[in-house]
Amino acid sequence: MIGLLKALPLALAVLTVVYLLVSIYSRSIRREKLEKAWDTDPAREGAAKDERDAYIEAGMEAYRHGLRRKLIWLVYVIPLAVALVTVYFIN
Amino acid sequence: MWTNIKWAFRIIAAVFVLAFLHYTLPQHDIVRLTGTYNRLTTVGPENSWAYASPDSGTQESTTTRDIRFIETAFADGDVMVYRNEDTGWIWPPYFKYDSSNLQAEAGNLKSDAANPKWVVVTHYGWRLPILSVYPNAVSVREATGPDEQIIPYVSIVVIAFLIFIVVMIRRMWAQFWERSVEPMAAEVGETWDGVEARATGVFGRIKAWFKPGPAKR
Repeated sequence: MIGLLKALPLALAVLTVVYLLVSIYSRSIRREKLEKAWDTDPAREGAAKDERDAYIEAGMEAYRHGLRRKLIWLVYVIPLAVALVTVYFIN
Repeated sequence: MWTNIKWAFRIIAAVFVLAFLHYTLPQHDIVRLTGTYNRLTTVGPENSWAYASPDSGTQESTTTRDIRFIETAFADGDVMVYRNEDTGWIWPPYFKYDSSNLQAEAGNLKSDAANPKWVVVTHYGWRLPILSVYPNAVSVREATGPDEQIIPYVSIVVIAFLIFIVVMIRRMWAQFWERSVEPMAAEVGETWDGVEARATGVFGRIKAWFKPGPAKR
């Protein structure tokens, strides 16, 4: 039982690293998508640079409040749920 | 030559990964349980990797301790001996702490050759007699018969998940490279071009590298 006290902080530390990496990745993917959406839109040909920056900033702000960012919490939820299910079925 | 070394390295790495998975993932044997006992066992440096770490469960000594064993026989007469130990909480992640109950269940399912009762033993690990290494039994249940087909769902899910992880790591690395490293390298490259244009000779170039130049932005 005392082993759990060692395993839990370790698991949380590892999952926190995974969480940070995945959220950086997800943010980067979203920013790239916004940049490409702007750059390939023929209607925005020749638009000013700060217009583009404002568009991307607005998109990132929407991402910050969106569902997709909250889904990254599954990085914690799924492994811990799997561990609980394992404990239940093994013992 | 270089390709051969690369391939040898890759093959060795693949063998290690496959052996590791084969050791760790659960497997099922359909056997007849013939005996359960515990034996004072000395775990040495050659096989301690295959036994529970001393602080998992209630064991306290690293070297000599009581370990539960389950003796079994296959339908074709081959035998297999499993150990029955708690796994602890870190590795392998079976989180097993009911060894005593499992030993009781196994004792309850014992049968003889005349009246066989077939049992599915879920276990991980290998039997290596030369190192006194035993697979660890994780659970037992009665089988429908000696020929029951068992689909290894857990292994399928775990391997699929590992493939997903590898693909995600590759994609994340590619994204990091494309978005962070390449723009930086392009900038350094431009700076370098500026340095080269001004400097002559190897030392001149190195010296110029440390001077603030017009190409830096």
